[in-house]
Amino acid sequence: MAKKLMKGCEAIAEAAIRAGCKFFFGYPITPQNDIPEHMAARLPQIGGCFLQAESEVAAINMVYGAAGAGARVMTSSSSCGISLKMEGITFIAGAELPCVIVNMMRGGPGLGSIQASQGDYFQATKGGGHGDYHMIVLAPASVQEASDIMQRAFDLADIYRTPVMLLADGIIGQMMEPVEFHEQESKRELPEKLWATTGWTPDSCRKRAVVNSLYITNEELDTLNQRLQSRYREIQKNEVTVEEYNTENAEFILCAYGTIARICKSAITLLAGEGVKAGLIRPITLWPFPSDTVKKAAEQESVKALLTVEISSGQMLEDVRLAVNGRKETAFLGRPGSYLPSAEEIAQTVLRMRRMHS
Amino acid sequence: MTKKIYVFIGNYGSGKTELSLNIAMQSAGVCKTVLVDLDIINPYFRSSERRDMLEGMGVKLISPNFAMTNVDVPSLPPEVHSVFTGAYETVVFDVGGDAAGAVALGQYKRYFDNVPKTNLEVLFVINPRRPLSETPEMALDLLENIKSKSRLDITGLVNNSNLSMETSADDLLDGFEMVKSVSNKTMIPVSYTAGRQDVLNEFLKIAEEKGLDRNYIGKPFPIRTYMHRDWDSFLAHGI
Repeated sequence: MAKKLMKGCEAIAEAAIRAGCKFFFGYPITPQNDIPEHMAARLPQIGGCFLQAESEVAAINMVYGAAGAGARVMTSSSSCGISLKMEGITFIAGAELPCVIVNMMRGGPGLGSIQASQGDYFQATKGGGHGDYHMIVLAPASVQEASDIMQRAFDLADIYRTPVMLLADGIIGQMMEPVEFHEQESKRELPEKLWATTGWTPDSCRKRAVVNSLYITNEELDTLNQRLQSRYREIQKNEVTVEEYNTENAEFILCAYGTIARICKSAITLLAGEGVKAGLIRPITLWPFPSDTVKKAAEQESVKALLTVEISSGQMLEDVRLAVNGRKETAFLGRPGSYLPSAEEIAQTVLRMRRMHS
Repeated sequence: MTKKIYVFIGNYGSGKTELSLNIAMQSAGVCKTVLVDLDIINPYFRSSERRDMLEGMGVKLISPNFAMTNVDVPSLPPEVHSVFTGAYETVVFDVGGDAAGAVALGQYKRYFDNVPKTNLEVLFVINPRRPLSETPEMALDLLENIKSKSRLDITGLVNNSNLSMETSADDLLDGFEMVKSVSNKTMIPVSYTAGRQDVLNEFLKIAEEKGLDRNYIGKPFPIRTYMHRDWDSFLAHGI
């Protein structure tokens, strides 16, 4: 198929439709409005349903309902809107339902700003809502990757019966790049949705399906939590994805995701010009976090230190530190949204670290 | 003194901002120029981001009140009215995408009505590489919609078929077929074919060889890339 010139938001919406998403419920917020806008234009064309809800809370509960009925369903929002959806998300996790949620991050806390940020890493990867649950969190770094990842997002949601979040900074949503929609070659085998509330009759040869996240007895809730935890372990074992760039025998390892990871690659080129070998670890799944990759890279004798770079104030840094576990220095460079660290700034930071290590 | 007013309207992402900046920069230094950023749609990547460049060249820039701040309020300054009466010789309106963006023009109808027809170019920019504008039918639909929202008659079409930095002559050739079809159905002439100099030359060469009707090419409009469109210039400029 010929390439198209698309915004990240448009590409995500179009890729979701190609992945079989037929239902979208959302509420507007900058910088992700192009997602609902594209869905509003396209879903009616394919016999799907777009609905602008009266609020984020309403939208996520519509997602809850559609997911319970076994539909491929999605919602999107940005930072403060995602906070509003959090109750619904933990209910969806508790009811073991698949859905996809896009968070096109803007500045925070509070209403924050409409400029790009990565300030919701903690919220996405460490819960956000209450209870012992996780979401799978995917973090694309380009418009092409954002579109490629949607099929996987919906498949993972169905396979593990869990909400999946696509977490990107506003730049990914707003920037335009040429995109090609690939036919999905390795579509994974998906389990049948026997739990879906599709209408029960006395002659249905199955149990009545009930969507629920309330467990009255200790035993029942414990069983749910054990099941969830064992599923999370399976996800951690099978679904980690990460890009390693130039890490072998590197002196310094940069850790970054999303837009800032691309800027890190430019910094690595600048550093090569200075005779410094630096590499990049770019988590594509933020949860499960690629701890083993970080650990192994850090264990290399050549590595003097790691530098985590974020458009936030040191959130992914905590996961990097847990993985490195004190084996090497783990430095940090970040801007809390609105501004981006430049490639020069990142390179200068590494050069300063190098002087301290020599 | 003649005043020439250019209004760029069209599909979201068709290249209106780039064309606006090019007209403004070409006219800068030659005559008194003002660029009106009338985009009430885009939060980032807008002509107001090039304020320093424009003002450095002596181009006056009028932006929405809250452009480039953290407030997402589409409020337009009263200063916009001054471009119709002031001493500007070249006036460029960079309008937001789709019908939603064209709404911002509607309120200036009575001012546009007083501009002599020969001095006003309302240009509908077409890029078939953008989603939801891939076919002549889609472009026509959008054109009618934008026309009614903007309350302006479109005077010309612009073939600006592009894939950003990956654009080739093939893109402009597809764009040619598209504007030809739209032009025949609407009776609106093709005013310009725009593109980076090298791509445009290649296209014109092929057009010549193939004997394509020049009426559907219009005036060749070589452009420079002022907005960042690739990752390297994104890094150089920031957001």
